[in-house]
Amino acid sequence: MKRFVALAAVLFALVLPALSQDWIRTGTGVGGEKIRLAVADFKAPSAEAAALDKTFNAVLFNDLYQAGIFDMVSKSFYPLAAIGAPADVHLDAWGAPPPNAAMLAFGNLAVSVGTLQVQGWLFDVKNQQNPQVLAKQYRESATDENARLIAHRFADEIIFRLGGGLSGIAETKIYFVSARTGHKEVWAMDYDGAGQHAITRLGSISLEPRVSPDNSRVAFASFFKGGPNIAMWSLELGRLVQFPSFGGTTLSPAWSSDGTRIAFSSSRSGDPEIYVCDQNGNNLKRLTAYHGPDVSPVWNPKTNAQIAWVSGRTGLPQIYIMDSDGTNVQRITEQGYAVSPSWSPNGQFLTFAWVRHYGPGAPGASDIYLMDVASRQWVQLTHDGGRNDFPSWSPDGRHIVYQSTRGGGEQIWSMLADGSQQTQLTFGGSNSQPNWSWK
Amino acid sequence: MPLDAEIYGHKEAITPSLAASTALHTALVLCVLFLPGMLSHSGENWGNNGSGGEPGGAMSAHLVSGIPLPPNPQAKPENVLANESKGLSQSVPAPRAKEDDKAIAIPDRQTKVKPAKEKAATTVPGRELPKQKPAIATPTHEQPHEMAKVNNTVPFGAGGPVAGPYTSFQSGSTAGGLKFGEGGNGTFGSRFGWYTDAVARKVHQAWQSEVNPSISSAKRVYILFDISRSGTPSNVRIEQSSGIPALDISAVRTLQRIDTFGPLPREYNGSYVSVEFWFDYRR
Repeated sequence: MKRFVALAAVLFALVLPALSQDWIRTGTGVGGEKIRLAVADFKAPSAEAAALDKTFNAVLFNDLYQAGIFDMVSKSFYPLAAIGAPADVHLDAWGAPPPNAAMLAFGNLAVSVGTLQVQGWLFDVKNQQNPQVLAKQYRESATDENARLIAHRFADEIIFRLGGGLSGIAETKIYFVSARTGHKEVWAMDYDGAGQHAITRLGSISLEPRVSPDNSRVAFASFFKGGPNIAMWSLELGRLVQFPSFGGTTLSPAWSSDGTRIAFSSSRSGDPEIYVCDQNGNNLKRLTAYHGPDVSPVWNPKTNAQIAWVSGRTGLPQIYIMDSDGTNVQRITEQGYAVSPSWSPNGQFLTFAWVRHYGPGAPGASDIYLMDVASRQWVQLTHDGGRNDFPSWSPDGRHIVYQSTRGGGEQIWSMLADGSQQTQLTFGGSNSQPNWSWK
Repeated sequence: MPLDAEIYGHKEAITPSLAASTALHTALVLCVLFLPGMLSHSGENWGNNGSGGEPGGAMSAHLVSGIPLPPNPQAKPENVLANESKGLSQSVPAPRAKEDDKAIAIPDRQTKVKPAKEKAATTVPGRELPKQKPAIATPTHEQPHEMAKVNNTVPFGAGGPVAGPYTSFQSGSTAGGLKFGEGGNGTFGSRFGWYTDAVARKVHQAWQSEVNPSISSAKRVYILFDISRSGTPSNVRIEQSSGIPALDISAVRTLQRIDTFGPLPREYNGSYVSVEFWFDYRR
């Protein structure tokens, strides 16, 4: 009898404390509301400027919409009177319903003697006494490309002022691999998919392009000289520049955020391992020494003190992190098939492609996931949309670009980092392995 | 040899065993009832199949809040374009209650009541009556039936944030606010309302509570910090503690988590802005 009573007491002792230790870290920081922003079409007095004005207005509105921090007022709500200068603005009309805007961007655009001149303002509609937040003037040669460029710059200024000091991404580039010419070459485009053009013309296979933090070089894996090796392309010179060959299968270069070091994977010792070298290929150092493939390293861009990579040491590929000297190895994912990590600019998150239930007949597919490195909590960003892979963070930490087969072939897509506003950027040929520039 | 053996005659003492069995079964039932709850709260269950957690669970709100994005706007049930509200500036006055004729008016406390004998004073020849003091009007609390139109009223829907030195935010169980005070003439908040709003948004996004959820409320905690011209927060200190260290630390860490608020407006001449940040915790 006493034995049973003691057993029951032990069971109670086990159960009750577990119930009372329900300690959770409550998350309440859900952010403020989006800024309600109206962007009036810029006034173009001359017919010559009308075509450029159309491009400018479309690009400016799209840039601000894509920023993810504004609640854009629909243009159908705008007052009918066109505004081109501060004297034309009636704040009451913009601040009252239906536009009910908190901020108003407006300006004018003129062309004279082949020069495009744009004046832009940003007004705080609710502040009658001191409405002006921003006033800018731009002057470039009158081309459609420059109209886009000025719109990007003005959008980035607005995002920088109202977004809490984080620069916009309207002037950033995305580098990717495209096979539309018959060979896999490195291509580049604006963040919104415009201006797609080839960078390399090697007539070989180029993979995994990674642009340097100063936007001067692109490192990528190339079959140009035999086996896959790291090639270095100078964007300033427009040609390959010297980079040592390490032998074996050398893949997946990754720049540190200070641009001084490159991490990569090489099978020069027989087994694919992670190595680090200086940006010119000197001071080679091996970081991993464990049986099984180790590939796809990425630096923690905030500190450059950690590296995340993919290892198959326990079977299926999983994401691991370690200190940049090879110590303190930790496994991040515990199941499925996880590849292609990318570290967020603030060092807080990893995004990667993950097949959580891997195997024949298993539900789900390769989707993009976001994981908080400290807490290991994760969230799925893409759902039911083909195979998604190769995510890469934008420099503002608000966007992710990735490749997806949801539309048929492999194409480049971008989205906000909470999984919303998924936008297809490429449409022709096969395009894959995107990498967002640093600035 | 008798064929019928006495098998029912032997009586075993079963009371102790029965009690023990009852206790054990009770314990088992309790375990079955509480064990699922216990397992579901074992931590480290985010993508961590090896530690016993169940994969595929939901995420907590603060994960995505680390991304510098505002949340998706929530659907507003109210249609601002077809609203029957009379607006904030034109409230309808309540109908005036009919006065009772037999009611005796209660004199106001401010009104001086003269003694009755003064009223009965007779006129003495050759002497003038003392001058009657003008009657003091009894203040009335009646409101005019029609509200006076004031120019500074804000029509419905056109309010927006207050352009002052104060700004605040609220979300679920939490609320916070900011007060700007700088070395100048104290007009920073009214001149640069867009900047104070940006600061409030950024603090709001960076907030992560580490308070034990069993605590339902706390006193307001006040945090002071400075924003330099480059927008970097510095000199973060607690001005007045809430009495709950976890809440104080959460508030300080919120500020330490922010790298920059963006450079101060160029039109502002001071070298820095001081900010008082208060935080209320209610659950």
